[in-house]
Amino acid sequence: MGADMGFRLEATFVGFEAVLALHGEVDLGSAPEFDAYLNWAIAQGHRFVVIDLRGLSFMDGSGLRVIGGAAKRLQLCGGALSVRSPSTSVRRLLDIGGFADLVRIEQPVETSDGIETGAAVGSPLKSVSAATVGVSTFLKRMAAVPSDDEVVNGALRLVVALAQATVGAADGVSISLRRHGTLSTVAASDEVILAMDAGQYETGEGPCVDASVKGRRFHAEALDTETRWPAFTPKALALGINSILSSPLEASKIPVGALNIYSRSTSAFAVKDQDLATTFAREASVMLSDVQVDMTDQQLEDRMSQALRTRELISQAQGVIMHRDGIGEDLAYTKLRRDSLQNGRPLHDIAQEVVDSARHRCDATIHVREVEHG
Amino acid sequence: MDDSPVDLLDSYRIDAQLSNGELWLRYFELGGMSTGVDLEAFLLGFLEPTIHDHDVIAHALNERFVELGGNHPVPYLEDTKHA
Repeated sequence: MGADMGFRLEATFVGFEAVLALHGEVDLGSAPEFDAYLNWAIAQGHRFVVIDLRGLSFMDGSGLRVIGGAAKRLQLCGGALSVRSPSTSVRRLLDIGGFADLVRIEQPVETSDGIETGAAVGSPLKSVSAATVGVSTFLKRMAAVPSDDEVVNGALRLVVALAQATVGAADGVSISLRRHGTLSTVAASDEVILAMDAGQYETGEGPCVDASVKGRRFHAEALDTETRWPAFTPKALALGINSILSSPLEASKIPVGALNIYSRSTSAFAVKDQDLATTFAREASVMLSDVQVDMTDQQLEDRMSQALRTRELISQAQGVIMHRDGIGEDLAYTKLRRDSLQNGRPLHDIAQEVVDSARHRCDATIHVREVEHG
Repeated sequence: MDDSPVDLLDSYRIDAQLSNGELWLRYFELGGMSTGVDLEAFLLGFLEPTIHDHDVIAHALNERFVELGGNHPVPYLEDTKHA
C-alpha cells in the first residue's frame, strides 16, 4: 500500500465530546480507518465530535466524505461535528461538497497558558485537557463501564466482598475469569479460597470450571458424597471445604467466568443464598459485558490492524472482480462469499487469491510489453 | 416457516460464542460499514439491516462456526430471496 503510511489518529474524550486529531494523510487508503474510529466515537455516545486537522498534511475527497457522513449522522441524533483548523483548500472542499451547513469550523486560538484550543464557535462543550489515548482504549470506550483491567478487577473485588458479607454461610468467595483462554482468579477473599480455585484449574474440573464453561449454576451440597469431580473433590476436603456454589458470569451472554462461594459446612446454601449468589453474579456480568476481558491493549491494537488489512484486501478483490466481470460492488462481494463457502475457506483467502492472480496477469502483461519493446 | 432470520442473528452470535465487540470486528473486517451500536440493533431485530449488511454479518458468523468445527448455519438473504 504505502498510501496510508503517514496516517495517525489521536483521540481525546471529554464528557460527550470526542476530539480526533488527524496526522499525516487521509486518502482512499486511510479513509476507512478514519471512518471506523469516527463511527466508534459516535457509537459510544460522543455526540460532539471535533476533527482537529492541525497535523494533517493531505486530505482528499474520501476523507471529506467520511467527515460529511459523520456530520449528517451526528446532526440526526442532536449532536454536531466541528472541524478544527482546516486549511483553505479543505474549507473550499467542504463548501463545494455541500457540507458547509453540516460542519462547524473552529479556528485555533492561543490561551494564556500557551496551549492551543479550538475557539468554540457555537460548541456546546468546552474542551479541557485530557490524556491522549491509543486505538485500543478508543475501542474499549464503547463499553458502558470502565474497561481498564484494574478498574474491572477492583469492581469484581467489591462484588466478592459484598457476597462474603451477605451470604451467611460463606466462608470464602472468589471470582474466576477466562482471560486469554485461561481461567484465573481475579478476586478472592483469602489464601484458602485461592488454593480452592487453583485446585480446579489444575485438575480441569470442579463447579467453578463447569459454571465458567457451561454457563449455568453448579452446586455441590456435600463434597464427601460428591462424585462429579473425582480429581478435585479430595483437594477441597483436605482444605476443609464441604460445599460450593458456583454461579456463571457472562459477557454479552457468553460464559466467561464464575462467582464461587465456599463453605466449611455441608448443605450450607439455602435458596435465599442461591438467589443472592445469582444476583451478585448478574451484577458482575453486567460489569463484564462488552468489556474486552480477553485481550490486552496490544492484542486489541494488533487485531484492529489485522482487521483493517483484511478489509482492504477484500475491497481490492471486489474491485478486481467488478472490473473483470463488469458487475456491481455487492454482486462482486456475493461472488467472493459464495466461493468462500463452496471451497470451505475463509473469505480473506479467496480475496488474496483474486488479488494475486490479478497481479500475476498484470506482471505478465508488463513482461509481454517489455519483450515487444525489445 | 421462519420468515425473519434477522430476529435470530443474536442467538447465532451466542451459539458462536462471540461477544458483540468481537463480532463487530469480524464484520468490519469483512467489509461491514455499520457501527457497533447499529450491529447490536440488527442482532436484536430493532433495526433491519440491508440484505448486503445482513449477509456480511451472516458470513462473519458462519466463518466462526467453521472455525469451531461446524457447518455454516446462518442463511444468506441474497441466496434465499430468489428461492
